[in-house]
Amino acid sequence: MSRFASGLRGLAPFVMAGDGGLDLLPDLLHGLEAEGVAAVEVGLPFGDPIADGPELQAAAARALAAGADLDGVLARVAAYRAAGGGLPLALMSYLNPLLRPGFAAACRAARDAGCDALVIPDAPLDAAPSLTTTAAEAGLGVVGFVAPTTPPSRAAAVTLASTAFVYVVGRVGVTGAATRLDGDLDALLAAVRSAARVPVALGFGLRDASTVAAALERADLAIVGSALVQHVHHAAEAGGDRVASARSFVRSLLAPTRR
Amino acid sequence: MSSSPDPVFLHDAPGPGWFGPWGGRFAPETLVANLEELEAAWHDFRSDPAAREEWDAVLRDFAGRPTPLFPARRLGAELGVELWLKREDLLHTGAHKLNNALGQALIARRMGKTRILAETGAGQHGVATATACALLGLECVVYMGAVDAARQAPNVERMELLGARIELVEDGQTTLKDAVNAALRAWVGDPEAHYLLGSALGPHPFPTIVAGLQEVIGREARAQVLDQAGALPDLAVACVGGGSNAIGLFRGFLDDPVELVGVEAGGTGTSPGLHAARFSGEGGAPGVLHGCHTRVLQDAAGQVLPTHSISAGLDYPAVGPEHAELARTGRARYVAAGDDEALDAFLRLTRTEGILPALESSHALAWVLRERTAGRLADGLRIVVNLSGRGDKDLHTVLARLRRGEEES
Ligand SMILES: Cc1ncc(COP(=O)(O)O)c(C=O)c1O
Repeated sequence: MSRFASGLRGLAPFVMAGDGGLDLLPDLLHGLEAEGVAAVEVGLPFGDPIADGPELQAAAARALAAGADLDGVLARVAAYRAAGGGLPLALMSYLNPLLRPGFAAACRAARDAGCDALVIPDAPLDAAPSLTTTAAEAGLGVVGFVAPTTPPSRAAAVTLASTAFVYVVGRVGVTGAATRLDGDLDALLAAVRSAARVPVALGFGLRDASTVAAALERADLAIVGSALVQHVHHAAEAGGDRVASARSFVRSLLAPTRR
Repeated sequence: MSSSPDPVFLHDAPGPGWFGPWGGRFAPETLVANLEELEAAWHDFRSDPAAREEWDAVLRDFAGRPTPLFPARRLGAELGVELWLKREDLLHTGAHKLNNALGQALIARRMGKTRILAETGAGQHGVATATACALLGLECVVYMGAVDAARQAPNVERMELLGARIELVEDGQTTLKDAVNAALRAWVGDPEAHYLLGSALGPHPFPTIVAGLQEVIGREARAQVLDQAGALPDLAVACVGGGSNAIGLFRGFLDDPVELVGVEAGGTGTSPGLHAARFSGEGGAPGVLHGCHTRVLQDAAGQVLPTHSISAGLDYPAVGPEHAELARTGRARYVAAGDDEALDAFLRLTRTEGILPALESSHALAWVLRERTAGRLADGLRIVVNLSGRGDKDLHTVLARLRRGEEES
C-alpha cells in the first residue's frame, strides 16, 4: 500500500538534501514528522535546475558543494526508515542524475531506501516511452504536473497517469516567487480534484501560513519549498540549528490550520 | 559510464521529435503547451506557400542568400586537396545563425507573439535574433553569460544598438549553458513570449525546426559543388557547438556517398573541464540537458561538467540529438580540434585566402589541416568546409593570444 494514498492531507515541505550537510537529513525528516507534516519531498540537488528560481538554485549549489549525490541521499533516507520514520517520501530530482546509474537501477535503489514516489520536474509523464512503467515496476509512484498553461484534456490525462499525487503548479514561472491563489487556479484545481484518485498537491510560491492555509482549502497537500529552504539557510548563517529552525518554521506554517 | 542510451528511451517506433533514442521533450510542464503550439506553427509555416515565399524573399533580399561556395585555391594547393568553403560568413550579420533567427521570428510573428527571448554564447545568435526582431518589429531580450559578454564585447554592443535588452547571466560558469538555463527559466515565467533557441537542440520541436531552417546551407552547397566542381565532395566538414551549422550542411548530403565530419572543441586537453568534446572527450555520455536526450558532458553523478573552448560558440556541454543519432548509426563521424589548432587555422586562412573565419569555424578547418598534415586524408580529396561565420568578433581573443604567445617566446 503506497504511503501516498487518497485521504492524505496537510503540509508537504520540500527539503534540499545536502544543504547544510547530508548527515542532518534523517534528523530533519524525523523532526518534520514530529511536527505533523503529511509528507516530504526530498530534493536531490542538480546543478542546472531549469524549473527553479534563485533560492533553490543556490541551495542545490550548496548541497552539491557539500558532496550530495544519489547514493548519499538514499543512504540517509534508508537511515530515517531504519529508525522508524514513517512519512510518505517523494524523491525530487531532475532526470539526468537518475539516468547515470540507469533509470531502472535508480528507481529500485530509491524504493529500497524507502522512497515512495518520484517527482521529476523536467520529465512530463509522457516524455519518454517507458519512464513511468519503469518507475512503477520498481514500486515507485509517479507524480504528474499540471500547470496553469496545461490544456484541460492534458490535465485530465496527467491526473489519471499520476500514481502518487498530482502536482498542481500554482503559478506560471519557476519556483520561488509568491503565488496568488486566484479564480483561474480554483477552476484548474477543481478539474484536477474531480478526476484524481490520488492526493492533489499545490505548490510553487507558497511562502507563509496564510498561503498554506489557503492552499489547504483547495488541495490535499501544500508544498512549501523555497521559503523553507531560505528560512533554514538564513537561520543557519546566523548560527542557528537547521533542524530546530525547520521545525519552528513548519510549526508557524501550520499554526492557523491547527487553531 | 555507459555510452548506450538508457532503455527508457528505446522506442518501437519513434515519433516526432525523436532521432532514434535521442531527442524528446524534457521540459517543465508549464512549457509543454507552448511547445505543442510551436510544433503546430512549424507545420503550418512549412505547408503554407505564402509563408515559404516570404521566407525565401527575406533570405534572398535581406540576408543575402545564396551564400557563395568559394574554391580556396591557395590553401587547397598548399594542402594538396580541393578545398571548398561554404561562405556563411558572408551572410548578413556574419554567421549562419541568421537563417534560424529569421525563420523562427517569422513563425513567432505568425503565432501572434510580440516578445522574443534568446540565449547567446558567441553573440552571433544574439545579434541575429536582435536583427530579425528589428526587421519584424518584435521586442528582444537576450540572455548572455558574463564571461561570454566580455570575450565577445563587440557583439554585445551590436545587440544593444539593434534595440535588444541584454540580461547578463552570472550563474555557473557564466557561459552558454548558463545562458540557456536563464533563458529557459525566463520562458517558464513568460510563456506568452517566443523562445528563439539558437541551435539544433532543446526540447522538441526545436531540433527539428532549427535543422529545418538551416538545411538551406546543405541544399545550396550540394547544388553549388555539383555545378562548380562537377561532382559531389568526398567530405563535408563543419564545427559542432549545439550542432546547427553542421546539421544544416549535413542534411544536404545525407543520402549521398559523402563522408560527414563534425568537429567539436577539443579545448586544451581531453580531461573533464578542458574541452567541449561530447563525443570524443572524457565525460561525454548519454543524458538529458536543456530538454532533450543526447550526449552530455557529465560526471559520474550525472552533474554537468564545466567546459572550455577558445570559441564561445562551441563552449557547451551538450549537442543536438540528431548528431547523437548520426554518430550512433555511424553516418557521421565526430572529432575534435583544440584551441591552438583553431588559432593556427584562423591565421592560416586569413593569410592564404584573405578570409577571417570565426574561431568556431576555424575548428572545422583545423581538423582538415591536421589530418592532411598527418597524412590521414588522401591527396586530392574534394572537401567542403562550412565557414559558419566571420571572425571579426574574435579579433580581441586572437590578438590577446598572439600577444601572450610573443611574450612567452
Ligand atoms: C560562427 C559560428 N559557428 C558555429 C557556432 C556553433 O553553433 P552550431 O553548432 O549551432 O552551429 C556558432 C555559435 O555561436 C557560431 O557563432
